[in-house]
Amino acid sequence: MRKTILFSFFVLFCLCLSCVARAENVCFKCHTKAHFEKKNVHQPLRDGKCGACHNPHVAKYKGLLQQQGAQLCFACHTAAAKDFAKGVVHAPVRKGECLACHDAHSSNSSALMRKDLAATCLECHKALAEKNKYSHAPFAKGQCLACHRPHQAANQLLLTENSDKLCLGCHQEATLAKGHQGFPSTPQKCLSCHNPHGSNRKALVRNILHEPFAKGCDDCHGKGDAIDSVDICLKCHQNIKEKLYTTHNHLTSAGGNGCLSCHSPHAGDRKDLLKAGQQQICRSCHEETYRRKEASSFQHPDSTSCSNCHDVHGSNDLAMVRGNGNSVCAKCHKSQGQFTHPVGEKVLDPRNGQMVTCVSCHYPMGTEFKFQLKQNGSKELCVPCHRTY
Amino acid sequence: MKKIGIHTRWLVTLLFLVGLAGQAEAKAPWQWQISLVPESRNDAMHMPHGLFIDASKDRYYVVDSGNNRLLSFDRKGQLLHAFTADDQLKSPIGMIRTETDDLWIVERGRNSLTQIDIRNKQTVPHTITDRGRLVFPDRIEYTNGSLYLLDKASGSILVLDLKLSVRQRIAAPTGKDNGGLVDFVLHGNEVWALDQKAKAVYRFKADGTVGGRINLGVEAHFPVSLAIGPRGFLYILDRLDNDIKAYDQEGRFSYSFLGAGQAQGQLYYPEEIRFDPWGNLCVVDEGNGRVEVYSR
Repeated sequence: MRKTILFSFFVLFCLCLSCVARAENVCFKCHTKAHFEKKNVHQPLRDGKCGACHNPHVAKYKGLLQQQGAQLCFACHTAAAKDFAKGVVHAPVRKGECLACHDAHSSNSSALMRKDLAATCLECHKALAEKNKYSHAPFAKGQCLACHRPHQAANQLLLTENSDKLCLGCHQEATLAKGHQGFPSTPQKCLSCHNPHGSNRKALVRNILHEPFAKGCDDCHGKGDAIDSVDICLKCHQNIKEKLYTTHNHLTSAGGNGCLSCHSPHAGDRKDLLKAGQQQICRSCHEETYRRKEASSFQHPDSTSCSNCHDVHGSNDLAMVRGNGNSVCAKCHKSQGQFTHPVGEKVLDPRNGQMVTCVSCHYPMGTEFKFQLKQNGSKELCVPCHRTY
Repeated sequence: MKKIGIHTRWLVTLLFLVGLAGQAEAKAPWQWQISLVPESRNDAMHMPHGLFIDASKDRYYVVDSGNNRLLSFDRKGQLLHAFTADDQLKSPIGMIRTETDDLWIVERGRNSLTQIDIRNKQTVPHTITDRGRLVFPDRIEYTNGSLYLLDKASGSILVLDLKLSVRQRIAAPTGKDNGGLVDFVLHGNEVWALDQKAKAVYRFKADGTVGGRINLGVEAHFPVSLAIGPRGFLYILDRLDNDIKAYDQEGRFSYSFLGAGQAQGQLYYPEEIRFDPWGNLCVVDEGNGRVEVYSR
């Protein structure tokens, strides 16, 4: 009896297999095969196994896919699922958007890249496509992977190594020391002054120079002042000093000059001499905040620049916001600033006696509810305060 | 076969019940006791930042930063007094009281360590410098005639005498992940300090050398304050998660409690945790404008 049942299952299994195989053979009756026959073909397709990714009859996902996004890819690329969750993760990888870079079927580029490597990278990193007078050789040759890892890395900016170590891999220390008049004795923090892609200045020095540096070194280094403290910067940047005298100042330092956590003292690509894009700078400490924001179903639009809402040097308001939880929102949401659920100093939250503000109900960084509400707006959000309803 | 099945089921049920009991013990050992808040809602605290507990006087002192005042409460949570130093305080964020009844207040608004002689009604702000560098005072503790002051500009702890001469400097070892110290507590002869960026707690010996390091692991996301319980458990306040995480004596994560929100027992941008001398865990909840006291 048992043997009969087992045999029946085997026969059924073989029948299913033959059905699937037959179904895959018929795919190309409608789908032009030539579209899937570029130089490099994805293995399941090469083996005629369309069913590895698609369901021929019905599926929950667009393209009759068996799974959504990276989940489908990770079904075969199992090691990648683990590896791609470690360290600094490339944004499309984090979002599970493998197809942002790869073609699922076939490609004339290696690793099934949609275009050649550099062209694929520049599709998102548009600013890098700007023409500069001088270009770094690997960048000019489109060799992005000479310095970066495409999926994840242990280093910021997805660098294959610590940035200084990476530079010294090609550039001889002795030659560099000569170019820097012997200081520092061991070249370090190269990216603080040099743009590794390109610049309009010789030696790829970043385009915008700090005014004292443009004049020479003496303004900061020549008078015996301690450069490893914020004092040296505050001598000129008095307006920032006020910000550091706030309850939530953003001074962060481990023995050095806290300003240099975010700014380059010599040269930068932006007027504010930030060491990198604002999001990259903020993310280097607030990684989890970003991760949660990106995972939220409803995020505040135009939230790519933190400094729109946060005073990045310091503020006397909660969460270093530019004003209290009302005024900062009303700067853009002007009509809600005039007419809305009662807010302001005279309206107190019964739960804690604090002023009701926009952020009493909304969490602009992102939530699972429409309009970044903290709870479902139909009931759960209102009842904690309006208990009699 | 049938007997084994029944036994197995009983065993599973028993294990489940034991597990449940253990979980309840691990998840909810802390009970809310009192909230330190002024009685009148119109007199609510605004962005309280610091807490000092005077065991000799049975008092809690709360630094009500947003209202530029210090509030004292008795052990039952009754407001005793509001002190503004004749409206001279400017964004105070921390305080201690010495045995001679001097108050030392960290005023962020003027970046000073301000000494207040209550008896003679004298207020003297001090700008602190160390080796020619401007110090940005932050957290403060006091013991045996020494002020322990966190310098936010250097991310290190300065030990000063009452004449404000720097006697010792305590800093985490320099390294790639070191972001500077953000909070500390005195524990016996040691200083335990939190490095936010490294997500680690350093145990410094009396001579300032590192005696140990506890890594807070993946559970910690944005640690801002630490406290050490009477049983040697380490408690970490996480401002992003709005909770408190408990680590055992070996530094292993044990459990977390509280969560985000405005209701009692919830946190909204909490700032500091401290144990009082009576074994209660006090949480300075900046966003909710209160200090909540929990006991086991």
